[in-house]
Amino acid sequence: MLSSAVYTKGYVGIFVFSLIINGTMAVSYDIPGRCLGLISLGHAVFFGLGAYGFGIAISKGLSFFPSLILSVIVSFLGALLITLLLAGLNHGYYSLSTLGILIIFQRLFETTEGITGGSAGLYIPETISDLQCHLLAAFLLLATAACHALFSRSRWGLYSKETEASEEAAEAIGIPTRTVKILCLMAAAIPACMAGMLHLARTSHVSPVSGFSLTLSITALLASRVVPVRGILGPLLGILLITAAEEIIWTKFEGFNHAWFGLILLGAALYQGIDVRRRKTISAVVENPLSR
Amino acid sequence: MIQVLISGLFLGGVYALLAVGLSLAFGIMGVLNLAHGSLAVLAAILYQKTLVHYPFSPWTFCALATPIFLGFGLLLHLIIVAPFRNLSLTGSLAASLIASLGLALILEDLFVWWQGWEPISTHVTFPTFNLAGLKIPGLRAILLGMAAVTIGLSTLFLKKTDPGRSMRALAQDKEAASICGINPGFTSMSALGLATILAGLAGIFYSSLYPLGPREGLDLTLKSLFIVVAGGMGNLRGPAVAGLVLGFIESFAGILFSYTSTDTVVYSLLVFYLVVKRGGRQQ
Repeated sequence: MLSSAVYTKGYVGIFVFSLIINGTMAVSYDIPGRCLGLISLGHAVFFGLGAYGFGIAISKGLSFFPSLILSVIVSFLGALLITLLLAGLNHGYYSLSTLGILIIFQRLFETTEGITGGSAGLYIPETISDLQCHLLAAFLLLATAACHALFSRSRWGLYSKETEASEEAAEAIGIPTRTVKILCLMAAAIPACMAGMLHLARTSHVSPVSGFSLTLSITALLASRVVPVRGILGPLLGILLITAAEEIIWTKFEGFNHAWFGLILLGAALYQGIDVRRRKTISAVVENPLSR
Repeated sequence: MIQVLISGLFLGGVYALLAVGLSLAFGIMGVLNLAHGSLAVLAAILYQKTLVHYPFSPWTFCALATPIFLGFGLLLHLIIVAPFRNLSLTGSLAASLIASLGLALILEDLFVWWQGWEPISTHVTFPTFNLAGLKIPGLRAILLGMAAVTIGLSTLFLKKTDPGRSMRALAQDKEAASICGINPGFTSMSALGLATILAGLAGIFYSSLYPLGPREGLDLTLKSLFIVVAGGMGNLRGPAVAGLVLGFIESFAGILFSYTSTDTVVYSLLVFYLVVKRGGRQQ
């Protein structure tokens, strides 16, 4: 049981790897999600950018580390461009724009067959061993969690909370809100890009649908909200529950996979509503016991 | 070129109808309903199944199905709006978004199980008219007229009736509306009911003109959302005009580019407009 092969090979290996990658996506999503209150439906854009950047470099003949470095640079520039574009938007408009950008990239990568392989996607040969992949992914998750914790406790984390409360007030007291937003969003984008790269290195295939997946974005969003625990533990526990539920659904129920996933989403959202009501009722009773 | 314009006009009419319904939901309740397009697909499937036994014309079926869609809207309110009343603004937005997406995914799989993968087409044979040398398909003209009348009636409803004024008041300021005696729960339920009726009508019209895939609900919703944001939330005229414009753009893009590239062009223009407009800041 303690052998590394158990956790890197076969079904268990893939499950563990999915857990780590989804965990990275959820924790990175939580940085702007919790600090700025922004709901992104396009977090998977960065995942896809990272995966395709790496995949295209490998398919052009570069080895693992040069491809990784090149992919990081390209993903960084791509993420910066998207972030600069969206940093001026709030709430509903931001959510909608992220969704639009996700669809744009999905459709774009479906049509550029010469470079990206079109809708069939990109296949790459094995570049590193499964164990190395898992170790890198685990390191990425730890680094993302550390980044999340440091950002939340830094002055930029405080600035982002002030920006979330009221952007006008924050600007009035001298907080550079646009810079705060860009930093926050980039802190989320880079780990997502690297998660995409490692996912491709492990699975050797990426397609526009799997790389720029709305389901992946929604899973990250859901994971950061379904477990009401502060800090990085919330998204990690959330992703553990969701990934386990997803695995059961995809293996046990054929033909209604989307419906079962939809049921999980519905259930998680309804649970949030019921939980808030329960807490409000309890706090109301605590404040005024005579009201019962 | 003129034929492309006419084709764009008809497509834009359907988009306008879909967007107007979503504008009501988004503007009044602040709910991003990702299942809106799926309701249009549901209407198309119901019409197609009904046609097998009763060959109703699209307008007859619209009249008969309106109460059914009102019922769907009330049910939808119980699922994606009512449970999240006590959450904060961002919390309720996120929760309703997740809930409506979950519902959309469930409906998509149900549609495939019920209908299969074949596109839904409820085409009814109707004569084509010649007007100054231009071929005007009769059915499209009638459905465009119906869409315009529906949007007009909805606008009148919002402006001239008490329930409509209540909806507008709720969209502007929920607390002030409650203080003035407006029941927010009932009003938002009515708004969603009306939005669902409009989505149903749009689905029936769309499937009468073009084949509609059982999994195209989310695509329709996304286009409608962008139209609503581009045209302005809570009002009907803006999204109606924006829907028409989108119809024209898609028609022209369809000639110049492939199907997938058309989508890329359309969404790029929409995102660009959104970013340039910076509606979030103004809000």
